[in-house]
Amino acid sequence: MSWRTRFHLQGRPVGRRTLLRGLLGGAVVTVGLPPLEAFLDLTRAAGATCGGVIPRRFGLFFWGNGNRPEQWLPVGEGETWELSEELAPLAGVKDKITIVSGMSVKTGNFTPHTSGVAGLLTGAAEILSGGSMTFARASIDQHIAGIIGTDTIYSSLQTTASGATGLSHNGPNSRNPPESSPYALFERVFGAGFRLPGEEGVVDPSLGLRRSVLDAVMTDVATLKARVGRADALRLEQHLDGVRELEQRLARLQEDPADLEACALPDEPLPDYPDLDGRPQLSARSRAMCDLLAMTLACDQTRVFGHWFSDPVSDLLYDGATAGHHSLTHNEGGDQPEVNDIAVQVMEEFAYLVEKLASIPEAEGTLLDNCVVLATSEVSEGRTHSVNDMPIVLAGGACGALRTGYHYRSYTQENVSKVMLTVVRAMDIPDATYGEGDGEVSDGLSEIEA
Amino acid sequence: MLSSRTSGAAVPNRLSPPLRSAALLLLVACDAKVQPEPPVALRGDAPTVAPAAPALRRLTQPQYAATVTHLFGDGMVLPSSLEPDTAIDGLVAVGAAATSISPVGVEQYEEAAYTLAEQVLADPDRTAAVVGCAPATEGCLRTFVTTFGRRAWRRSLTTDEVDRVVAVGESASATVGAPDAGVLYAMALLLQSPAFLYRDELGEVDPDAADGARRYTSVEMATRLSFLLWNGPPDDTLLDAAEAGALVTDAGLGTEVDRMLADDRSRDGVRAFFTEMLELADLDTLNKDPTLFTHMSPEVGPSAREETLLGIEAIVFGEEDWRSFYTTRRTFLDPVLASLYDVRSPTREGFAEATLPDDGLRAGFLGQASFLALQAHPTSSSATLRGAFLRDVLLCQAIPAPPADVDTSIPEADATSPTLRQRIETHLSDPTCAGCHQLTDPIGLGLENFDGLGTTRLTENGGTIDASGDLDGADFGGPVALGAALAEHPRIGPCLTETLYRYATARTVTDGESDLVDWHAAGFEEAGFHVKALLTDIATSPGFRRVGALDTEEAR
Repeated sequence: MSWRTRFHLQGRPVGRRTLLRGLLGGAVVTVGLPPLEAFLDLTRAAGATCGGVIPRRFGLFFWGNGNRPEQWLPVGEGETWELSEELAPLAGVKDKITIVSGMSVKTGNFTPHTSGVAGLLTGAAEILSGGSMTFARASIDQHIAGIIGTDTIYSSLQTTASGATGLSHNGPNSRNPPESSPYALFERVFGAGFRLPGEEGVVDPSLGLRRSVLDAVMTDVATLKARVGRADALRLEQHLDGVRELEQRLARLQEDPADLEACALPDEPLPDYPDLDGRPQLSARSRAMCDLLAMTLACDQTRVFGHWFSDPVSDLLYDGATAGHHSLTHNEGGDQPEVNDIAVQVMEEFAYLVEKLASIPEAEGTLLDNCVVLATSEVSEGRTHSVNDMPIVLAGGACGALRTGYHYRSYTQENVSKVMLTVVRAMDIPDATYGEGDGEVSDGLSEIEA
Repeated sequence: MLSSRTSGAAVPNRLSPPLRSAALLLLVACDAKVQPEPPVALRGDAPTVAPAAPALRRLTQPQYAATVTHLFGDGMVLPSSLEPDTAIDGLVAVGAAATSISPVGVEQYEEAAYTLAEQVLADPDRTAAVVGCAPATEGCLRTFVTTFGRRAWRRSLTTDEVDRVVAVGESASATVGAPDAGVLYAMALLLQSPAFLYRDELGEVDPDAADGARRYTSVEMATRLSFLLWNGPPDDTLLDAAEAGALVTDAGLGTEVDRMLADDRSRDGVRAFFTEMLELADLDTLNKDPTLFTHMSPEVGPSAREETLLGIEAIVFGEEDWRSFYTTRRTFLDPVLASLYDVRSPTREGFAEATLPDDGLRAGFLGQASFLALQAHPTSSSATLRGAFLRDVLLCQAIPAPPADVDTSIPEADATSPTLRQRIETHLSDPTCAGCHQLTDPIGLGLENFDGLGTTRLTENGGTIDASGDLDGADFGGPVALGAALAEHPRIGPCLTETLYRYATARTVTDGESDLVDWHAAGFEEAGFHVKALLTDIATSPGFRRVGALDTEEAR
């Protein structure tokens, strides 16, 4: 029997909620903590907030294999445009989104799918070594999280609807694996230690002890780092970042949560979403994840997320499809009605996320108003692996930094990094450039900036 | 990194799987002629090597699991997920020496540490076995940290290290008011330390070498051996030998290698290597349309893997010629696979040895569902994927990445072109495609008698399947003959040698090592293609024992 069967199929995971209580349950004491300090905590990263109190958030919604460009492109431009067939699911939030079309990845297209996704998400060409590829720089979500994610419990959260590998990177060979189980995400964020605004705190001595263990781990990592070569030192530095983040998280669990009106405990998701007739429950799983993600933002548990609906080259079997997605993009004939239908299905799920964010009131508007969620894919047309005319939807106005209800069409195959720079700046991060080499830009896309 | 599949654990990082997936494409820049290499002459002494710099290797998920069993015994429950493994150049071993631990991974390792420690302390028998003393007794914590720490860190702790762990434990014990807590937090620290999560094999100057050459220390050799041969941590015997300095001597090393290969744990090691090489972890998430493949069920993938691994064990530990892997009619089946293969099941439950019909289409690995289903699409077979796997993985002949901007449609079946051979004719007639597709498709088409799950068929859409072709000059009439041609291919031995060498050293073969790898390949052939002999040869190889200086260029 394989190791996997021995260890990983033995029923439900043991949640942290069930840990430690055996020894420490008797030691839990209830004490009120001063709420003001934690509330001020929210405003600490002043640059990253709008209206002084409400944070700005960034989300990435990624799917694999692109779309059918002819059926994706909206009719009309500027403020006067109509949703296309593939964008039709976004009808309910049309005035809250901006479509950017005609942009190109400028870092080359050497290998199908991988060149495109590296250039798109990092603004830099992929690193090819041997037969493998990795990103040369952090992906856009981690670049943003490194700046606006430092004051929350989680610097970012990564999720998938499909068991995707995900491509959020801290740097070369440093990938952030996404959570594929809504239940596990629920346990992780809203399980032990989570408190709603106003909820009385408990002093849990295990938190302090765990922190002291992590302090010792950090010392050990630093000691080892001083002994190793350059490449390993970089890897250990990333390890150290992770330990530091966990240590800070435990410290924050002892602070009172900010007074956020919309923050509520989400419903517990199903423990599992088994395949039905050999097809994954993409919609149900994605929606469960998006419900949770929306509440992690509303409760300010994180300000950055990546939702990897599917991976590049994904060969998932969608509802109604006669073959896997990637196979269809290459083998379906004519106008590829099945590929088109899959693009519509993906946009239905993106629309669900956007509508969910728009349903949560925040300050004078909604949570969506204080976000920007970038939806995109690694190619435009899957059949040809083209990285021209990349599919890009921006949802939410990022506290008024971005125009919405708009279609920007580039006729000069502008560098897609311009969109990224605009998004970064919309997070109130004053970067001068985005990307490197042929991917580098110093100007954003002023037309979509408010 | 990019995978067409939804693998939970091993994540293929090299381009090959997605590119093979994307490889229904027009490939250019290939030299369509692959020259079989001349047979290697009888080998002399090992060539000198220019060893590469060391790299930290993370414990893989299977290694973590094996370590848990080693430390705590059977029956421990781990959290549902740990930092995933990432394959680079087709091997998780290589990925484990290059990838970082993510923030989520840190969190998961923490949870795992407390989960394990809690389970131990909740079970008096296990506590007695693991801790070795009553936590409340004087000195127990220090004894525990010293002895358990050595097993967990795969080396003795320094006095300073013991002091630091004991201090954390004592503080916890005082805070909670329970001596058990001291053990719990000390154990949690030991299980989160980099000395546990990584193999810090950094090397030392070899005092016996005149030129300042470096070698792995005796203690480092223990972990190199145990993870190579067992895919798990050293046992006490090996650690004792290591700390006595035995593993930097030829005799001491040879003794331990022989002992370890005679131990049953070497089966875990062999299974781990071939699981990586043949991408068998992906069988957990086999993606097939059950409406088209009526034999498809969640059991098919894991069963197919077990068939392949049992067959490999029989060859390796029966000390048979490795090349029979591609020709043998002997296999191991459970009822699930027997039904898929349309043969009588040799057993009602579990697996049992079976002999496939002499006149059937199925023989050897090329007739196994583990390969046929994995190297195919969710709803169809793929000559290109199967052919590319043969070239890339079994013959170590890299197929270049397909170009990006091309239309890659394959025509749909119709009355004039019912079979895949006819539909992908363009691959071989269009000169821009033919360069590379001539390397993959003709051999992949030799397996068209198996559908996308591995069920046999003689026709496709009413047309008779022609499964004939040639493999680098060896004609074959169908899949069984293709397997026989593959077994005789001059690259079969050298490719397995190179892959095992990469697995052992966790990196690509450097320019300074190619002669050494050829030398090992010659030894493999001379030994009658016995894999255990190859394992012994590589475990005692200068390439496995020597190490370069730390790469400290540029400031840290």
